[in-house]
Amino acid sequence: MSEERTMLSAAADEMFRDLCSPRTVRDAEEHGWSPDLWEALTEAGFPLVGVPEAAGGSGGDVADACALLMVAGRYAAPVPLAETGLLAGWAAAAAGLALPAGPATVAVGRRGDTVELSGAEGAWRLSGQVSRVPWGARCERVVLVAEHDGRYWVVSAPTAAATVTSGRNLAAEPRDTLTFTSVELDDALVAPAPESVTPHALMLRGALGRASLIAGALARVTELSVRYTEEREQFGRPVARFQAVQAHLVHIAEEAQLAGMAASVAALNCATALSFSDVAVAKIIASEAATSVARAAHQAHGAIGMTKEYELGQLTRRLWSWRDEFGSERSWSRALGHQLALAGADELWPRISTGLLDDQPC
Amino acid sequence: MDFSPTSLSPAEEALRDQVRTFLAEELPPDHRPGLGMAARHDPDFSRRLAARGWVGMALPPEYGGHGRTAVDRFLVTEELLSAGAPIAAHFVADRQTGPTLLHHGTEEQRRFFLPKIAAGECWFSLGMSEPDSGSDLASVRTTATRVAGGWSVSGTKVWTSAAHLNHYFVVLCRTSPMQDGARHAGLSQLIVDLSAPGVKISPIPYLDGTHHFNEVVLDDVFVSDERVLGELGGGWSQVTGELAYERSGPDRWLSTFPVLREFLREQGPRLSDQLAEAVGRLTARYWAIRQMSLSVARSLDAGHAPSIEAALVKEVGTRFEQEVVEVLRTAAESEIDPGAESLFEDLLAEAVLTSPSFTLRGGTNEILRSVAAKGLGR
Repeated sequence: MSEERTMLSAAADEMFRDLCSPRTVRDAEEHGWSPDLWEALTEAGFPLVGVPEAAGGSGGDVADACALLMVAGRYAAPVPLAETGLLAGWAAAAAGLALPAGPATVAVGRRGDTVELSGAEGAWRLSGQVSRVPWGARCERVVLVAEHDGRYWVVSAPTAAATVTSGRNLAAEPRDTLTFTSVELDDALVAPAPESVTPHALMLRGALGRASLIAGALARVTELSVRYTEEREQFGRPVARFQAVQAHLVHIAEEAQLAGMAASVAALNCATALSFSDVAVAKIIASEAATSVARAAHQAHGAIGMTKEYELGQLTRRLWSWRDEFGSERSWSRALGHQLALAGADELWPRISTGLLDDQPC
Repeated sequence: MDFSPTSLSPAEEALRDQVRTFLAEELPPDHRPGLGMAARHDPDFSRRLAARGWVGMALPPEYGGHGRTAVDRFLVTEELLSAGAPIAAHFVADRQTGPTLLHHGTEEQRRFFLPKIAAGECWFSLGMSEPDSGSDLASVRTTATRVAGGWSVSGTKVWTSAAHLNHYFVVLCRTSPMQDGARHAGLSQLIVDLSAPGVKISPIPYLDGTHHFNEVVLDDVFVSDERVLGELGGGWSQVTGELAYERSGPDRWLSTFPVLREFLREQGPRLSDQLAEAVGRLTARYWAIRQMSLSVARSLDAGHAPSIEAALVKEVGTRFEQEVVEVLRTAAESEIDPGAESLFEDLLAEAVLTSPSFTLRGGTNEILRSVAAKGLGR
């Protein structure tokens, strides 16, 4: 990792440790998010890491943004960090739209979503419904990519103009449905999408962001599980001395490391250009690890893990949510598998052995 | 624990390209891929590979090696294994005995053995397990007794892969009786010539009927003092160190890769969603495990001793090798016929019959998990 990125992660870790305790997370689940944490992150410029400085962002690349998300995942941070910079901020900036001052989110076009952009310069209108929008009503804007007149447009829609149906994920993070009914938009909110900004690209970035969050949460679950099983004694010795418990710990460590490796390499390989196969691998590995690590960690913890009070559940409820968001391991496996079959059997090994590219600024 | 993402330098990529070209020329079009270390024992192939400088490559040039890195060796090994190349003759000497001799051997031993190993002409087996000693290696009963100029060794070693083909094996034995329950003291490693008088090698038929395992009975076999490997009485730490080296390489996760590749070839470019899911998922895991395994090699080159990391890679990698077989079996939905014309089915049959060994050889996964779990707590 570059020295700058290491420093960025260390600074973020310090801030989350101070401002994002398990109690903060618990309280945030009552209100939908943590405004105090968000304010501190904004002051430090963290939400817009990965968005060019010239566009009003904090600079840095996708790998920097993902390094921050790994830290945020460790702390189960109840804020739209991935959505504001890596997703909404990137798309808005790439299209030359002004960045919103507050938190922002995206709608990537889920099944059943309808987005209709009509009109033209000076008289834009937006109608439609987008579902499961992360942190929807807590955000100032929802950025979406709409098709109109034979091309893609980036729309930075004010959430205040939408009717909101609240929803949440298993960790009580807001996942809202927003309905726009012929909302007028001024020209500063709509711009032609550059070639790089497509629904597919947003999906890739979303999946990479979730893989990074998952990897961070898994690292923390590993620490909690190792610590707890060393402290907890049964039959006169720490439960970590039992081979059956050791098997859980080793499984947790393996899967957490695999997910961390896959997410890190994908983030680095995406620093200059998004790579479908790297993102697919990262999301497949991370989502699958989320399931099996949560299971093993709960088994190693026993009943304490089933309490709202204890930190483990804050992480596992997010793992159970994030694994499905921006595509589950199944959907990414399917897409990757079809692509590999088209490439042919002799291409399989060269692809597996490509790994981290040498020219990435890591 | 430290698994850092690592990339390949242009020189490393060039090496990989050279190996790919070599294999494309060397392996005939009808080459039947082998499965990992169980691939064919082909002395000519080993010699030709050695002639390119790709056997014993991490050994220093003064001993006939090439002074290359662990990553270089990793790259050559993964190309060989992914192609299912016939590596069995030189593989153990290259992976394990060479480095052990370099670290613990006498100058005479290095000069005698290492150039031959690097030439692909000196092949080793491992003499650790016994009828009553498997995971509990310290309980070995093979005994060496002092005689003029050396040792007389007696005992029985089992599961000795390719002892009937190889030249030597390194025998873990007791050179002084156990005292006060100090189980790890008094063990030594002796280099035994498999053609020496008193060595009796008998096949132990493998599960699939092939000749792979042997029983090696040692009956008063003379081993000169010059063939004691490392410190007398230091066998335990040498053996555990050796097991750590051999742990995390591509041979611990690539054994069944040819089965997946041939599956994909026979299925063609259009897969059902269900099969695409299986192929995508397995490929993702290959990709991630490889990056972990490569990271351990890089860490070795940086002078670290990533023994916990290596144990984790072997544990997860060997279980994955087995999982590949089961995923493909269920995906194929056919009754396995070992005589099938389909290369995929032929390989699948072999994989089903041999895959239980993946999580046994080189230390069972249960032992590995204990080793790794102790490291996690630190």
